[in-house]
Amino acid sequence: MLKVQDLYASYGAITALHGVSLEIAEGEIVALLGVNGAGKSTTLKSITGVLRPVKGSITFLGEEIANRSPESTVKKGISLVPEGRDIFGSLTVEENLRLGAYANYERARYKTDLEEMFQLFPILKERFHQAGGLLSGGEQQMLAIARALMSRPKLLMLDEPSLGLSPAMTDQIFDLISGLHQRGTTILLVEQNAERALEIVDRAYLLATGSLEFSGTPDELKRKVDIASVYLGGDDNDHCEVHL
Amino acid sequence: MIDLEFIINTVSLGSLYALLSLGLVFVYGILKLVNFAYGEYIMVAGYAMHVIGQNRGIPWYVTMAVAVLFAAVVSYGTELVAFRPVRTKSLTAMLVTSFAVSVFLQNVVLITISPRARAVPLPAFFSQTLTLGTATIPVRNLVIIGTTIVLLIGLTFVMKRTVLGIAMRAAADKFTTTRLMGVPANLVISATFIISGLLAGVVAIFWVGRSASVDPLIGAAPLLIAFIATVMGGMHSQIGAVIGGFVYGLLFNILSIMLPATMISYRDAFMFVIVILFLLFRPEGIWRGGYTEERVG
Amino acid sequence: MRLPEKISALLKRRSTLVLLLVPLIAVGFALQAFGTPLILNIYTYFCVNLMIVLALQMFMGNSGILAWTHVAWVGIGAYASGILSMAPMVKSLGVPNMYPQLVELQLPVLPAILLGGVVAAIVAGAIGWPLMRLSNAVGVITLFATLIVVHVVMTQWDNVTNGPRTFFGLQEFTRLPQALVGAILVILLAHWYRESSLGLRLRASRDDRFAAMAIGVSVVQVRYVAFVLSALIAGISGGVWAHFITSFSPKAFYITETFLLLTMLVIGGQGSISGAFTGTAIVTVAREILRQVESGMNNSGMFSFEVYGLTELVMAVLMVIVLIWRPNGIIGGQEITWPLLKRKNRPDDGAGTDVVEPA
Repeated sequence: MLKVQDLYASYGAITALHGVSLEIAEGEIVALLGVNGAGKSTTLKSITGVLRPVKGSITFLGEEIANRSPESTVKKGISLVPEGRDIFGSLTVEENLRLGAYANYERARYKTDLEEMFQLFPILKERFHQAGGLLSGGEQQMLAIARALMSRPKLLMLDEPSLGLSPAMTDQIFDLISGLHQRGTTILLVEQNAERALEIVDRAYLLATGSLEFSGTPDELKRKVDIASVYLGGDDNDHCEVHL
Repeated sequence: MIDLEFIINTVSLGSLYALLSLGLVFVYGILKLVNFAYGEYIMVAGYAMHVIGQNRGIPWYVTMAVAVLFAAVVSYGTELVAFRPVRTKSLTAMLVTSFAVSVFLQNVVLITISPRARAVPLPAFFSQTLTLGTATIPVRNLVIIGTTIVLLIGLTFVMKRTVLGIAMRAAADKFTTTRLMGVPANLVISATFIISGLLAGVVAIFWVGRSASVDPLIGAAPLLIAFIATVMGGMHSQIGAVIGGFVYGLLFNILSIMLPATMISYRDAFMFVIVILFLLFRPEGIWRGGYTEERVG
Repeated sequence: MRLPEKISALLKRRSTLVLLLVPLIAVGFALQAFGTPLILNIYTYFCVNLMIVLALQMFMGNSGILAWTHVAWVGIGAYASGILSMAPMVKSLGVPNMYPQLVELQLPVLPAILLGGVVAAIVAGAIGWPLMRLSNAVGVITLFATLIVVHVVMTQWDNVTNGPRTFFGLQEFTRLPQALVGAILVILLAHWYRESSLGLRLRASRDDRFAAMAIGVSVVQVRYVAFVLSALIAGISGGVWAHFITSFSPKAFYITETFLLLTMLVIGGQGSISGAFTGTAIVTVAREILRQVESGMNNSGMFSFEVYGLTELVMAVLMVIVLIWRPNGIIGGQEITWPLLKRKNRPDDGAGTDVVEPA
C-alpha cells in the first residue's frame, strides 16, 4: 500500500534520513522504532508532505506522492495523528472533528462518522462543545485520533500517541489502536514505548541515525536486537518504559 | 463634556478603528505578517470611488460596493503576486515585501492618476446631521456604527459557523496541522487577504467620506491607527483588535479635548508614546489571545 | 614566516575587506583624477549612502530586526551636526526661532559631525532598552511608531529644526575624499563588529532567539549594544550627509528614505557587509539611470503629465523580485571571499531560516 524507497531528507545542511526504505501492506500494523533523532518523525513528515524529501520515492496505492503538499496526501487517504497531539486548542471538539472531516467531506455520512467516533470515544460526546485546549492529555489524544479518523483514512499514522500519558491512559490508547487495526485500518505507529508497541504490531522497523537498522517481526526484532540497549543502554525492568 | 454627542462620536470613531484593526489582524493571525500595504487597500478603494464617481449616472451604493470589492481584489492580487512567493521565507523578507508593495501601489497611483488629491462624490446623507436634544450628530457616524455592528455579526458568523471560518481559526492556531487536515494553505491565506481587503474597502468609504477626497498617501494614517490599535488591543486575536480599535478611538477623542491647542499637532506623538509605554508593561496587549507565534511553513 | 607570506596570509584571512576596499578606493582615486563633477558627486553620494547602509546592516543584518528607526538617527545626526557647525549668523538667519543657547554654539565641522553621532546614540540609548525587549510584530510596530514620534518632533520643534521648513546654510564639508575615508572606516568597523564576539552573539540571537538564550546570550543586551552602536554610526553618517547636501527638511528622514535604505540593504543581502555594499552600488546606479529616464520622459513631452514616482515604482518591483528569487539578497548572508567562486560550504546564514515546503 505504502512504499518508501531510498528516502533522503534534510533540514538545511543537516541530513536527517540517509536512504530509508519501508513498506506497509494493506491491513497491516507496522511500528517504526528508534531513539530520539533517529528520523522517525522526519519519515512521517516526508510521507505527509510537510517536508520535501531531497531524494527517493514514496508511493501510495501505486501513485508517487513524494513532493505532494500535505493537503493532497490527506485527500489521498493518509492521515496523521501528530506528535504532541496538536489539536486546535481554541476550537471546540466539534470544530476539531469537522476539520478532520475536511479532506473527504460528504454531508450524508458526516453524521454517521460522528456517531461512530462517539462510540469509540464516548468522552468526546460529553465534551463536544468545549474548547479542545480544556481537555486533559488523554482526552486530547483521543480527539487527535478521532480527528484523523474523520477523514476515513486508508492509512493511519500515529506519531508517539502515548507520549506524556499516564500508564492507564497508555493502555487505553494501545487497546484502541489494536481495535482500529482489527477493524481493518492500516496503521503505521511511531512509538517511544517500544515494548508496548511490539505487542500489537505485525512488523517493525528500527531506525538509527537516519537509516534502517532492522526490519522484521516483533519476535525477530526481540531476538536479534536488545531493545533496551538500543534505547537506553540497558534496563532490567520487566516493562521497559523507554524514553526518547 | 461627556455628553451624548461625545459618546456617539467616540463609539463611531471606535467602530471605524475596530474595523480597521480587524482587517490588519486577520492577515497577521495567519501569516504573522504586519502588512504595511494594508493602508494601500484603503487608498485603492478611495480611487475606485473617485473613478466610478466620474460617471454621475451610477448610484452611490453601486460605487461603494464596487470600491469595496476592488479593495478585496487588490488585496488578493498582492497576496498572489508578492506575498505567496515569499511566504515561507524569513519574516523580514515578508515585512520588506509588504513595504515594497505599499510603495508600489502608491507610485502606480501617483503615475497613472495624479500626486494631488482627487474629489470623491458622496451621497448627501454623508454630510447631514441629526439633532437629538442638544446634541448634533453627523448621520455618517450613525451609519458607521450600524455598518460595524452588521459586519461584526457577519464575521462572527463566518468564523464560527462556516467550515472556511473554522479552518481560518485553526490555521491561525496551528498552520501546518491545519494543512494536514486537508485544508489548502493557499485557500485559507487568500481568504484572509480577501476579508482583510473587504474590511479595508468598507473603512475607505468612511475614511474618504470625511474629506470627500483621496490622495496617494491617504493610506498612511489609517495604517498607523491600525498598527497602534492592534498592538494595544493584542495582536493575537480578533477580539483584541476590536477592543484596541475602541480604546484607541476613546483615547484619541479624550486627547483631542484635553490637549491645549498649541500641543494638538503633537497628538499623534502623544498617542504613540502612551502606547509604547503601555506595551512596556504589557507587551501582549489588553487582550491575551490564543494565537501562537508559529509561522507559516 | 617571511614578510610576503605574512602579507599574503593576512590578505587571505581578510580577503572580504580586500575585495571591497580595493575597488572602492581605486574607483575613488580614478574618479578624483578623471571624473566629471556629476560623476564625482554620484560617487560621493554612494560613499555616504554606504556609511548609512552599513550602519543599518550592523543592527538589522545581525539582529534580524527591521530597523524603522534608522533614518531617524541619520536625521538627528544631520540636525545636531548642522546646529553645532553653522555660524551663529547663518543660524539666526536660517532658523529664526532657534533657542539662543543653540545659536551661540559653534564647532569645527569634524567634531560637530562626531558629536552629532553621539547625540543620536544618546537618544537611541535612552529609549532603546525597552524597545529591544519586544520581539516580532509588536517590536516592528513599536519601532515604526518611534520613527513617527521622532518625525513629528522634527516637523514640530520649530526652535531646533525650523519645523517642516528647509534647514539650510550648512558648510559643504563632505567631498569625495572625506566621504571615501568615512566609508572605509565604516566598512572596517562593520566588518569588525560582525566578526566580533558581540556580533556573533547577536547573529546567534537572530537565528534562534531561544537557543541563543539557552547558551547564555543576553539577547536584549546584545541587541541594545548593536542598536546604540548603529545609531552612533548612523548619526555620524547623517552629519556627513548633511554637510554634503547642505540643506534638508524632516521629509528626508522619513518613510521614502527608509524604503530607499532598505532596498540598498535587502537587494544585496542584509546578512553580510558584501551584500550591503553590493546592494548600495546597484541601487545607486539604478536610481541614477531611472532619474535620467524620468526627466527624459518629462522633457520629451511624450506625456501630457509629469512622470513622477517611476524610480520608487521600479525599485519596489526590483525589491520584490529579488526577495522572491533570492530571499537573502543577491550576495546572500555570507561574505564574498577570495577566491571568488570557492564559497565555504555551509548553509547560507542570512537572516531567517527557509522553511521547507512543497510546492
